Amino acid sequence: MKLEGKYKFAAPQQKVWEAFTTPAILKQAIPGCESLTEYEPQKYDALLKIGIPGVKGTYSGKFEIVDAQPPNQCRMIGEGSGTPGFLKTETAIQLTTEGAHTVVNYQGDIQVGGLIAGIGQRMIGGIAKMMLNQFFKQMSQALES
Amino acid sequence: MSEQNAKKWVGQSYKRREDLRLLVGRGKFVDDIKLPNMKYAAILRSPYAHAWIRGIDTSAAEKLPGVRGVLTGTDVAAMSKPFPVGVPIPPKYYSCAIDKVRFVGEPVAVIVADTRYIAEDALDLIQVEYEPLPVVMDIAEAIKPEAPILHENIGSNIYSRRFIKYGDPDKAFAEADVIVKGRFLFPKYGSTPMETYAVVATYNPHTEEYVIHNNFQGPFVNHALTSIALGIPENKMRWIVPTDIGGGFGTKTGVYPYIALIALAARKTNQTVKWIEDRREHLLASATQTDRLTYMEFAAKKDGTILGIRDQAIDNCGGYIRAPEPGCAYRSNGNHTGAYQIDHCDRDVMVVGTNKCLTAPNRGYTCQELYFSTERMVDILADKLGMDPAEIRFKNFIQPGQMPYTAAGGGIYDSGDYPKAFQLALDMVDYKKWRAEQKKARAEGRYIGIGFATVVDPSVTNIAYVTTALTPEERKVSHPKSGSGESFLIKMDPLGKVHIIACTNPQGQGHETVISQIVADALGLHPEEVSVSDVVDTYDRVFTITTGSYSSRFASVGTTALLTAVDRLKVKIVKIGAHLLQVNIDDVELAEGKVRLKANPKKGISIKQIAGTAHWDQAALPLDMDAGLSASALWSMPTSKPPDELDRVDSSNTYGFACEIIVVEIDANTGEIKFHKWVSVHDAGTILNPMIVEGQVMGGITHAFGGALYEEFAYDENGQCLTASFQDYLCPTAMELPAIELGHIESPSPFTALGSKGIGEASCMSVPVAIGNAVADALKPLGIEINELPLTPNKIWHMMQKAKAGLPQAEAANRG
Amino acid sequence: MKPCAFEYFAPGSVPEALALIQQHQGKILAGGQSLIPLMNFRLGRPEVLVDINRIPGLDYIRQHDGTLQIGALARERDVELSPLVRQHCPLLAEAVSHVGHSTIRNRGTFCGSIAHADPSAEIPCAMCALEGTIKAVSPTGETVFTAEEFFLTYLTTALEADQMVIEASVPLLPPGTGWSFVEMSRRSGDFAIVAVATLLFMEKGVCTAARIALAGVASTPVRARDAEAVLAGQTPTPDLIAQAAAVVVDATDPESDYHASADYRRDMSRVLSQRSLTEALARAQGGN
Repeated sequence: MKLEGKYKFAAPQQKVWEAFTTPAILKQAIPGCESLTEYEPQKYDALLKIGIPGVKGTYSGKFEIVDAQPPNQCRMIGEGSGTPGFLKTETAIQLTTEGAHTVVNYQGDIQVGGLIAGIGQRMIGGIAKMMLNQFFKQMSQALES
Repeated sequence: MSEQNAKKWVGQSYKRREDLRLLVGRGKFVDDIKLPNMKYAAILRSPYAHAWIRGIDTSAAEKLPGVRGVLTGTDVAAMSKPFPVGVPIPPKYYSCAIDKVRFVGEPVAVIVADTRYIAEDALDLIQVEYEPLPVVMDIAEAIKPEAPILHENIGSNIYSRRFIKYGDPDKAFAEADVIVKGRFLFPKYGSTPMETYAVVATYNPHTEEYVIHNNFQGPFVNHALTSIALGIPENKMRWIVPTDIGGGFGTKTGVYPYIALIALAARKTNQTVKWIEDRREHLLASATQTDRLTYMEFAAKKDGTILGIRDQAIDNCGGYIRAPEPGCAYRSNGNHTGAYQIDHCDRDVMVVGTNKCLTAPNRGYTCQELYFSTERMVDILADKLGMDPAEIRFKNFIQPGQMPYTAAGGGIYDSGDYPKAFQLALDMVDYKKWRAEQKKARAEGRYIGIGFATVVDPSVTNIAYVTTALTPEERKVSHPKSGSGESFLIKMDPLGKVHIIACTNPQGQGHETVISQIVADALGLHPEEVSVSDVVDTYDRVFTITTGSYSSRFASVGTTALLTAVDRLKVKIVKIGAHLLQVNIDDVELAEGKVRLKANPKKGISIKQIAGTAHWDQAALPLDMDAGLSASALWSMPTSKPPDELDRVDSSNTYGFACEIIVVEIDANTGEIKFHKWVSVHDAGTILNPMIVEGQVMGGITHAFGGALYEEFAYDENGQCLTASFQDYLCPTAMELPAIELGHIESPSPFTALGSKGIGEASCMSVPVAIGNAVADALKPLGIEINELPLTPNKIWHMMQKAKAGLPQAEAANRG
Repeated sequence: MKPCAFEYFAPGSVPEALALIQQHQGKILAGGQSLIPLMNFRLGRPEVLVDINRIPGLDYIRQHDGTLQIGALARERDVELSPLVRQHCPLLAEAVSHVGHSTIRNRGTFCGSIAHADPSAEIPCAMCALEGTIKAVSPTGETVFTAEEFFLTYLTTALEADQMVIEASVPLLPPGTGWSFVEMSRRSGDFAIVAVATLLFMEKGVCTAARIALAGVASTPVRARDAEAVLAGQTPTPDLIAQAAAVVVDATDPESDYHASADYRRDMSRVLSQRSLTEALARAQGGN
């Protein structure tokens, strides 16, 4: 599914860019992220425990940042697999300054496969959107601290 | 020899003897089989639609307590061969993915454990490394040169292609006053039997024999193909199908790879292994019918006479093609022109692969797709010419005086009176009244529509049709295929009681009951005096390639084979009787339970006495006669011949008629369809048991209703199946089905002993297009074309919104 | 599919149940009509199940202080058929009758459906329309949630890990209140594509307040407050109802799925709201 939109952060662009490319902050922001360890520059091993209460799955996989043009844009590619299935996501982000704020525009493509895709298709779209909002909220909080 | 064959039981709604055991839980299904030390299998399935398998690590799974062993593609490749299939370059189809997966749900590994629970725990511990590949889901995309290729050894996604001409289509199209065109998409759906696949397999390493309990619809061709795949002769594989199967509908007639897979798991782990497919597995990876994209043109005169049909039909077999496909493209060639006198056809027939799950015949096999195009086209033509769609059908029908009629494609229609059946339906529905209602409704801005379908229902399968996948030149240098044989054995015990040994292998059709009715009439007995054993055991039964229940063949081939055996028994009884009476055969008759002198009916010998003698006093029998009292027949219809050099073949052997007239109203606010009236008229020749026939008709209607409005195996653009549970794969319930009135006429077949033909699939072929035609008729004021199914409220609403806004309709997307 | 292994406890009292939940992070099993399928699909993998079906005294449906109180183990079927509910809160009986099939309602519990918080479900939607409350208990005490604050998002409620829903309550509807529950689903018994619960509180032909709640159009049930405001203080007419129904759309934020697009759901929220309000008005004006 395709997700597009934008989010406004109350922080300067350089700081937002750094937050998006710093593993420690990303780990705080990504919902259910239990670990995110860099094994090569901008390439990470990830462990996620995500879902909704009662229906959580553990996914292990990789995450990387490519085509980086600091502090303006990059693409983030992630994929993980676990017992409920697999996830793949590719999101392009562009940062622009608006006064004291930074606007992040995103265009993301999320693929969900396996058990959850077959059984949960009724809710996947909404849950994906919800997690994306959670990500931005948690990112916002991380930026404030 | 003359006998009295009083038809006392055939034609009655005699209560089914199968029902009691089914209702009180004493049916015998594969899952009732409990063997000593039996273990349980679970299957790891691919979550990707298209991917290389780079590695499988089963070490953690194998260490789990209770796990007895594991089978992967590497084992399967070493222990078996690909399933043979009748296409020029076959894909390598094994029962398990070897180096690549080609649809979501494809088996990747099998765990055998003490319980199914433990087996599934072990599946969670298997690590598979996949390298995903681009997927192709859409039929039109699959044939483009730049499409991702599923099978490297084939090099394209086209499994089979033939160009076939009947008559002189170029001339017909040149002479036409009008040509109409259409593009149609028939969805991938299936009949979801209540009982899923089930296998219990053992392997004896000392005798190198497999014993496999399963619920396949016969031995059919699958026994032969599975033994080839396992690399063994057929007499090293004992295939046992129990008394009861919980529905088949064709899902259990295609190559059933799990029989081989579980057999190999049993062999590798040296265990007795049971595998019961769960519903999610069934919806992901059992068998559905093909989805089909059709481009069609009709050439016609301006008086409505249809001169010719040109079509390109592309069937989608999914990730692999397996027997009896490419039957999907060829099975209906004999009745391609349906109920009409059309002599000229031009066909471009293709069978392709995409990353969807695999196919097998589904109730109606090929005809619902065919008629969805042709019957829609009849309405489109009528519309173009300003003719009433009923009138144009009457104009083109084959007339009763022309029966038996050889259709353009080679089908020999045995009997029928299409105008009479159609008129009956029109009278039952009160056609004039509904046209008047429609006019009134349209003036009020309401959308009422009347849809017709008048179709020929082919039953029985002549396996010759599959060879039309080969060109006439290719057929010349290969083994011909033909036939439709079925076998029965009748034996009479020393007290004159009769037992029938059958392996028609029914899945709920009530064969035991109908067999008892037929034999009772033939021998002057009560059905309760006729016992029947109808199971498949390839060691203990006489069978052939065509044996099984599929294609509604019991009523025609089955009954005739049965009566052939019964007649042979009667001949023997008469011979023994004449011999014991010391007279000539011509001097006696079989009547009222006796062989008696024609000249002196009081002098005779009872059948019971004859039976006693045949067993107890074998020396008293005529010389050169077998002792005991039994007879058998393995009868194939004489018209089951190979195709001729013009690709014409009698693809089925009996041809019934089904007609639907459906009146609908579309709710303009919600797109929901309301049914005002529905009449369904059938002609399946002689009716053997009206109650069973009604059940079959309603069953066929309901399955087709599902396909027309609710059911679809849907995939997203990445090949993920969206309908892997009954939450999303929607089978209609009793609440959704409207009231339906049934009507019958009987045009007995001259080709079968009782004149009966198949009835199990008729409405499957007519209902989808009748609903399509009704909705199209309803939405005519908006200029909406109906060319795909299922017709969901969401879809209809979107079409109506676009039409009201003056926007073009989207082309029907085959993403599923 | 078969569920993963789990430990099973069947406490005989609420304190025992709460202790087990806290000790083991156990999942509560009441009717099991949502939980067990999730477990059988291995999408839900609780390590401990706390079966509360043996706890006595939790299956009540009773009238108390101007409300109807429904205990944690009251079955949906009992709520549907209860004379108290049918008399004093018929909207609830109607909404519950749309939950699955009667066989499911025989086992499923009213409070269980609330705790499950499926945004397409009928009972959470009706609770929002009725402005009902949900009482939860934990080892440390009791909390009462309003329906609105209880449902946070997909399958997620405001319940803390150590809390258990013990009771739901709804107000008694004054006589003469118009009510309606209208649902569109693919088949009888399926999840709602869109469902609408409406209430019209009337006084001498004037609508003093309206409530419009919808299921299937967002991550929780939603109240269409702007649409309600169109009717409040007015004499309802077909035109006014059509106006209000058009405004309902703005309160929705539906997703597209395989069965229905977001556009379709948006328009159906208007169509069904109009039908529901019309039906509610007819009831208010004279027939129930």
